Amino acid sequence: MSSQRSPSVALGAAEQDRRSFLRRAATLSGLGVAAPWALSLATMGEAAAATAPSDYKALACVFLYGGNDYGNTLIPADTDNYAAYQRIRSSIALARDTLLPLIPTVALPSGRQMAFGPQWPEMKALFDQRALGVLLNVGPLIQPTSLAQYQAQSVALPPKLFSHNDLQSIWQSSLAEGATSGWGGRIADLMMSGNSTSTFSCINVSGNAVFMAGRNAVQYQISNSGATALNATRSNIFGSSAVAQALRQITQSGSSQWMENELAVLMSRAVSAEAQVTSALAAAPALATPFDAASSLALQLRMVARLIGVRQALGARRQVFFVSLGGFDLHDLLPDQHPGLLAQVSSALGSFYQATVEMGVASQVTSFTASDFGRTLSSNGDGSDHGWGSHHMVLGGAVAGGRFHGQLPATAVSGPDDVGQGRLLPSTAVDQLSAALATWFGVSATDLPLVAPNIGRFDANALRLFG
Amino acid sequence: MDERTTQLDDAFDAHEFSRTGAAATAAALALSACGGGSGGGTTSDAGPVVPDIRPTAQQAARFLGQAAFGGTEAQIADVQARGYSAWIESQWAQTGSQSHWDWMVANGFAVTANINNFQGVDGSLWRRLMASPDVLRQRVALALSEIFVVSMTGLPVQWRGMAVTAYMDLLSQNAFENFRTLLERVTLSPAMGIYLNMRGNQKEDAATGRQPDENYAREAMQLFTIGLYELNADGTLRLSGAQPIESYTQSTVANFARVLTGWDYDTVVSGSPDHLARPMRFTASRHSTSAKNFLGISIPAGSTDGPGELSRALDALFQHPNVGPFIGRQLIQRLVSSNPSPAYVGRVSAAFANNGAGVRGDLRAVIRAVLLDAEATTPQPQAQAGRLREPIVRLIQWGRSFNASSAGGLWTIGDTTNPSTRLGQSPLRSPSVFNFFRPGYVPPNTPLAGQSLVAPEFQLANESTLVGYANYMQTVIGNSAGDVDADYAPWLSVANDAGALFDRLNLMLAAGQLSAATRATITTAVGSMASGTDAQRLQRVQATVLLVMTAPEYLIQR
Repeated sequence: MSSQRSPSVALGAAEQDRRSFLRRAATLSGLGVAAPWALSLATMGEAAAATAPSDYKALACVFLYGGNDYGNTLIPADTDNYAAYQRIRSSIALARDTLLPLIPTVALPSGRQMAFGPQWPEMKALFDQRALGVLLNVGPLIQPTSLAQYQAQSVALPPKLFSHNDLQSIWQSSLAEGATSGWGGRIADLMMSGNSTSTFSCINVSGNAVFMAGRNAVQYQISNSGATALNATRSNIFGSSAVAQALRQITQSGSSQWMENELAVLMSRAVSAEAQVTSALAAAPALATPFDAASSLALQLRMVARLIGVRQALGARRQVFFVSLGGFDLHDLLPDQHPGLLAQVSSALGSFYQATVEMGVASQVTSFTASDFGRTLSSNGDGSDHGWGSHHMVLGGAVAGGRFHGQLPATAVSGPDDVGQGRLLPSTAVDQLSAALATWFGVSATDLPLVAPNIGRFDANALRLFG
Repeated sequence: MDERTTQLDDAFDAHEFSRTGAAATAAALALSACGGGSGGGTTSDAGPVVPDIRPTAQQAARFLGQAAFGGTEAQIADVQARGYSAWIESQWAQTGSQSHWDWMVANGFAVTANINNFQGVDGSLWRRLMASPDVLRQRVALALSEIFVVSMTGLPVQWRGMAVTAYMDLLSQNAFENFRTLLERVTLSPAMGIYLNMRGNQKEDAATGRQPDENYAREAMQLFTIGLYELNADGTLRLSGAQPIESYTQSTVANFARVLTGWDYDTVVSGSPDHLARPMRFTASRHSTSAKNFLGISIPAGSTDGPGELSRALDALFQHPNVGPFIGRQLIQRLVSSNPSPAYVGRVSAAFANNGAGVRGDLRAVIRAVLLDAEATTPQPQAQAGRLREPIVRLIQWGRSFNASSAGGLWTIGDTTNPSTRLGQSPLRSPSVFNFFRPGYVPPNTPLAGQSLVAPEFQLANESTLVGYANYMQTVIGNSAGDVDADYAPWLSVANDAGALFDRLNLMLAAGQLSAATRATITTAVGSMASGTDAQRLQRVQATVLLVMTAPEYLIQR
């Protein structure tokens, strides 16, 4: 049983952590080229910090599959820009009197005002509480890119712009489909030495996502109701303990065949992690914060909150989580379906933040939204098409909230930020976002390129998402 | 402890090859794999299609794992008797069970009470996948449903259940037609029209700024025909200065989208779903008359001939050199292996280009090339070889192997999407048009990733789904899947002998892939179970089936 949460046990765990880190470091050093970076002094320093018992940080990526429509997520609210928005979007525009205008702590330029739609009361409240910051026009870039450079194709651009699967992958990993590590996993690579069980460094409550795979860190999958127990670890199978034993053995035995072996690796991890997770969750007090039981996203985030609640039992000091919601590819039916999806996001993130407050870890947990791409500002009658840059939300007690970060694009088709039909040319790179989050998480400046490979071509300090 | 070390094929005497015979056949296959059979010398030539041998039981079982959903012992014997090629020929004309549409009507699901739900659809899908006699057609139709994806998660219209049943009927009916025919029927099907928004797509409007919807234009190129990058005939990337060459640009998408304006349901009659079984209809007044220039097509401004423009656009896609390798490789991945050699893709691509009678796009020739290639019919021993069997295909295989039937006739297996309690996958319920898994998915943190090898089905494999599958199959095998249950009666007579039971099941379900070590583990455990009564013998059968079907040596098809 590893569900105890008393301080003495936690200290004992910290001791174990140091030993296991040194053991892991020794193992890594034996690998030669595999991990010189893992042994940098900075990492050692972080590892020491990460083993302090009270020290904990978590990142939670909320991925909106399909490409969220930025145009109806953050809406121009001042008279001129609302009029431009209304003219461009016509049949899919939100009514002005339904908007929830935002009053930022740092005024937007040119007297501009922005608003959330009517489905985001929780997000509006979090903005007002300064727990939520809005990151404007962020998207994948290889290097800073002007509209003229884009049009002339004179600088390197991310491959396969506007393609769902590739842009999902590029957002999560910096590479098109087929990528084998993502920046969530790469952050964990650098930080998981502080965790006593590396399995719990990257926990995915959604489906497999390259975001969560590191070079060493693996994503551990859990359902929104917890870890699923293999029946054969709990009871006889067809009345036979021998059959249960055989099932456990067959499904976890290694193989010289690579694909077979991977299945055995997954099942072994499933069985050992499940025992830990289930006992830890069973011993934890219930969360008082309500989550919408009808919302898949809310249930996923509830599980993330519960896992954060048992961080000590799981021996975790630095964790990356992944949750997702699909259905955002609204070429049609945007006015019918987008509001419901946005309402789920607002409700789920509102509950999640509240749960972190309840557990006293609000400033140690940062969540953020991400999505394949933004969409066109122009309408195709009942929806919008694939785009590029988009606005995203960063939420947590440590976030510089109640304000906008980055640059607000013009509300225009064929404007200065538009690569066609209101597809935004990003003014902030995903690498800048990942670098800012990684820095808050404890990754050193010298290690940032391991997380965000393009960061060297950008100003890594331009975004002040924290503090 | 069971002492049997009998050759796995022993259960099949009728058409058995001697060990020497099998070895000789393997040697012949290896020879032809080196190009010995083609005589042409180029890899995209007709290439090594296997001679029409009489396969061993093990070979026949392996073949049915690719061409079908596995098979019963009788079906394995049938393949042995006919040979692979003749078996395929027999499947072209094989009639199937009742169409999805007719079954929905006959069973009272096509009623107004169901216009906003999918009542009956899962049942009908499982029914044909698990029991329709035209098994090759069902297998290919399922593969096509994972390329030309339409999903119940994205059909928010009235009569949605009938839309998806009509679509699956369309894929079944066209599985052995020409690819050009299939492409046009898919394009004009109401289900695809709804799913990727071509239905109702209108011309641009300068006054409102409205633009044609680009969804179908983009995905039809990216996913259904040519893919993102220009390909050689063997599926490898064409390069320009070491860089891949994009097949199309945003401008191609925007111009193609204009061609695709003006289509909507054919006449809708209140209270009837029949419009969903007919192709969409063109309305010239909603069609873009702007100029359209893409893929070598140039349509001047002013054209209102939407059907003619569509035909030219689909012709251009169909004639694009990418289609053969792009679709061929995916069919190989769905039926045979995750990482086919370029030469294998090249041979399938050549069959797509020319069926031997000068016809391009003949899907029968493509299917034959996929299934009869030496690389398909010869076990691939390399450590990285194989493919992970899809979860739904495993369940279908269980049903077919044990002659499963539906007690109430409604095949109430339901939606098996839940990843932690069921399969994490369910027919026609992909989360998006990108299917349950991508052809280019690379499982991170594996040796495969180090070699840039793909394993598409691993996109569904994780701690939750592997446990969920094992638990679900325990329930299915021990009880039933909804009202669908297996007939284990023929197996009870062999259940006293754990080794013989294992050997027959290993052959039927896994083409004998399970190793001697796994055999020892399973037969020891099952041999320890009582076998004095039929109920006890049944438990032995069920335990062996479960242990075989959860073994990694079964799950990876090699």
